[in-house]
Amino acid sequence: MSQVFKVKVNGQHELTVDASQGNTLLEALEQAGLEPHYHCRNGFCGACRVQLTAGDVTYINDPLAFIRPGDCLACCCVPASDIEINQ
Amino acid sequence: MSYSTFNKNQINPLKEPMFFGNSVNVARYDQQKHSVFEKLIEKQISFFWRPEEVDVSRDRVDFQALTESEKHIFISNLKYQTLLDSVQGRSPNIALLPIVSIPELETWIETWSFFETIHSRSYTHILRNLFTDPSEVFEDIVINEEIQKRANDISKYYDDLIFYTQLWQTHGEGEWEVDGAKHIVNMRELKKKLFLCINSVNALEAVRFYVSFACTFAFAERDLMEGNSKIIRLIARDENLHLVSTQQIINLWQYGQDDPEMKEIAEELREEALQIFMNAVEQEKQWAHYLFRNGSMIGLNEEMLCQYVEYIANMRMEAIGFDAPFKQRSNPLPWMNKYLVSDNVQVAPQEAEITSYLVGQIDSEVSASDLGDFEL
Ligand code: FES
Ligand SMILES: [Fe+2]
Ligand SMILES: [Fe+2]
Repeated sequence: MSQVFKVKVNGQHELTVDASQGNTLLEALEQAGLEPHYHCRNGFCGACRVQLTAGDVTYINDPLAFIRPGDCLACCCVPASDIEINQ
Repeated sequence: MSYSTFNKNQINPLKEPMFFGNSVNVARYDQQKHSVFEKLIEKQISFFWRPEEVDVSRDRVDFQALTESEKHIFISNLKYQTLLDSVQGRSPNIALLPIVSIPELETWIETWSFFETIHSRSYTHILRNLFTDPSEVFEDIVINEEIQKRANDISKYYDDLIFYTQLWQTHGEGEWEVDGAKHIVNMRELKKKLFLCINSVNALEAVRFYVSFACTFAFAERDLMEGNSKIIRLIARDENLHLVSTQQIINLWQYGQDDPEMKEIAEELREEALQIFMNAVEQEKQWAHYLFRNGSMIGLNEEMLCQYVEYIANMRMEAIGFDAPFKQRSNPLPWMNKYLVSDNVQVAPQEAEITSYLVGQIDSEVSASDLGDFEL
């Protein structure tokens, strides 16, 4: 199954992420020049929280920060489908 | 309901709420009601560090060369952090251990507090290196008005919870008079005090360090006071973890994943919790004002610092279900991030140095001639 998904950011930018490449969503956003928020890059501070308005993500590291319904932590997840996020 | 250090009743900790259930008896972690606290313990212990392993000797030379206003900024921040960690090194233990009801959270609280004592010891390490006798700095912490204003807000919710818990554990529920003042003690009141206390601690861990962190890292950007900056990086990493734990507690309550009465209380006291956070933000801005009253430092001024506090506060408030109250949505101090990255993740070497060379002595490149002018 293809691991290449579309990520729509704030309803405007659209990027393509290959989830099999091992890059996190945060890294993908950075590569697209979007300056996402972060501190720890390791799932324990919550600074990289973005709203996940459509689609699903998979966590590649077990996050310690509480993930409120409708949010995701960009530093430790990859898209599991086409997704839409707001940051 | 007196406290027992080993509750003789057979209890099922998987069915206990985080607080105000049966007190914990067996310290077991093979099963967990809220496994995140066990993961936090593991993470925190993996971060273990000793202040003495960070060489701060070069900072003495740098410090002498700072302007008077920069010295004021540097020392005032250390005083404030010393206050914060003095409180945090004891209060979670004293306030929360008597009422906690699940082993993994009990042990998290102890681990958390222990790390705050490492922070406290690191300030002595830093100050001893800068001053032959650092007493004056420490003594000023209980005299300095600006620090006192903050100390009161930081300790009052803890003190209130501790006092009511003591009344409850010695006298039970009821109306009790102590030193001429009446106190109504019942479970609802106790839980409300707990809720406010956790919100106050959450605000402390969320925003109260960041003005100080920003100043430290602004010095480091100029290659100054780097030993201090290395220590503060380690502290900042720990504080992020502490913050996540209070955010977890608040969210577990809000989402009804723990004590259902705490969910009600979270709704009932939402405005008060908001106010606690907003007051902390306001105090931090005033602190920035106090720091810069004698002049700024290169790379940082009061306005930028206040914007940074707002930026951080927005993120932290959204994490516990408040709307972001400030319009500062972008990071006004982007260079801060490289000091806040955890090293467990490899970042590009140009982005951040790796903390592993912090722990394990660093060669201090101070020659005798550098120190020639100073009395040791
Ligand atoms: S950057 Fe800290 S949790 Fe993602
Ligand atoms: Fe601390
Ligand atoms: Fe802390």
